[in-house]
Amino acid sequence: MNDRLNEYMDGLFAPYEGTKSITELKADLLADLQERYRELRAEGKDDATAFEQTIDSIGDIEETVQEMSNLSRALERQVVTRFDSSDLKGSDFAGVTARGAKFGTSALRGADFSNADLTGGRFKSSDLGEANFDGANLTDAVMTTAELAGSTFRRTRLVRTDFSMSGLDKVRFADAVLTDVAFRKTDLRHTSFERCTFTGVDFTYSDLRGLTFDGAAFTGVKFDRAGLEGVSMRGAILRDCSFRGGWSNKYYKALRTVNFDGARMDKLTYAALKSFDVAPPNVIVE
Amino acid sequence: MSTSKVTSDLLRGNTDTMILRLLAESDRYGYEIVKLIAERSQGEYELKEATMYSSVRRLEADGDITWYWGDESQGGRRKYFRITEKGRATYARNKSNWEYAKRVLDTLL
Repeated sequence: MNDRLNEYMDGLFAPYEGTKSITELKADLLADLQERYRELRAEGKDDATAFEQTIDSIGDIEETVQEMSNLSRALERQVVTRFDSSDLKGSDFAGVTARGAKFGTSALRGADFSNADLTGGRFKSSDLGEANFDGANLTDAVMTTAELAGSTFRRTRLVRTDFSMSGLDKVRFADAVLTDVAFRKTDLRHTSFERCTFTGVDFTYSDLRGLTFDGAAFTGVKFDRAGLEGVSMRGAILRDCSFRGGWSNKYYKALRTVNFDGARMDKLTYAALKSFDVAPPNVIVE
Repeated sequence: MSTSKVTSDLLRGNTDTMILRLLAESDRYGYEIVKLIAERSQGEYELKEATMYSSVRRLEADGDITWYWGDESQGGRRKYFRITEKGRATYARNKSNWEYAKRVLDTLL
C-alpha cells in the first residue's frame, strides 16, 4: 500500500521536484498520509475507500507549493545577503553578485572581493585588512569605521562609497575614478592613490600630510580642515575645489606648504586659495 | 461538509490561529493537527493537509513555531511542531482581534 501512496505522491509532486523545501513538504505529507491510511484501515475501511479518503485529505497542493516557493525565495535572499558579525577570514567572494550585502562587523581579513558586484554593500566596522577589492563595484557601499589596512582597490568602481573614519593605512587605490566618495576624518598619510581621478570627493577633516597627488585631476573636491602639510600636487588639475580651514591658522600654514608646481586650476579655486593668503607660485590659472 | 464558500474561506483565514492554539496546548505533529481540528469541530471543518502545511511553513518563516524530530521507536520519525514565545504573542493578538471582530459583527449582522 505504501507503494501506491508513494506512487501517487511522486505523480502529484512531479511538476515541482528539485527544491529542498518541496522535497521536505512531500516527506512530511507522506508521513501524515501513511498514518491516516493505517487508521482508516484499522477502522475497518476497505483498501479502495481508505486510499480514496486518504488522497482526499491532501487538498490543493498547487497553492501550497506556490506559497512555499515564494517563501523560500525570500528566505534564500536573506541567506545570501546577511553576513553580519560573521567570521569569513580569507573567504573567496571573487566575482560574486551581492548587491546590498550586509557584511557589518564581520571578520573579512584577506577576503577576495575582486570583480564582485557589492553595490550598496554594508561593511561598517568590519575587519577588511588585506582584502582585495580590485575591479569590484562598490557603488553606494558603506565602509565606515572599517579596518582596511593593506587592502587594494585597483580599477574599483567607487561611486558614493563611504570610507569615513575607516582605517586606511597602506591601502592602495590605483587606476580608479573616485566619484562623490567620502573620506571624512580618515588618516590617509600612508594611503596611496595612483593614477586616480577625484570628482566630488570629500576629504574633510582627513589627514593627508605628505601625500603625493602629482598629476591627479580634482573636480569639486573638498579639502576642508584637512591636514595638508607637505602634500604634493605637482602638475595636478584642480577645478572648483574647496580649501576651507575655518579659523584655524594651522590649516592655512599647512596649506602654504602644499606643492602646486605646474598645477592647473580654475580661477575660483585660485581665488579661494589667494583669499586665504595662499598664493601658490608656478600655477597655471585657467 | 455543509459549509458554503464564504464560511469555508472564513474558517481557512483563521488556520494560523487554530494551529497556534493547538500548539499552545502541546507540541504536535502534522497529522495530529488535522485530526484534532476535525475532532474538535465535530467534522464541521476539515483542514486539508496542503492548507495546514502552507500555514505551518508560514508560521515557521515568521518565527511563531519551530520543529524537531520526535524519537518514535516504531514506524517513521515524526516531525513535531512547537510554539515559540513570539507565537504565543501572535496567538493572543489574533484571538483578541477575533473577539473584537465577532463583537462588531454581532451588532451589525
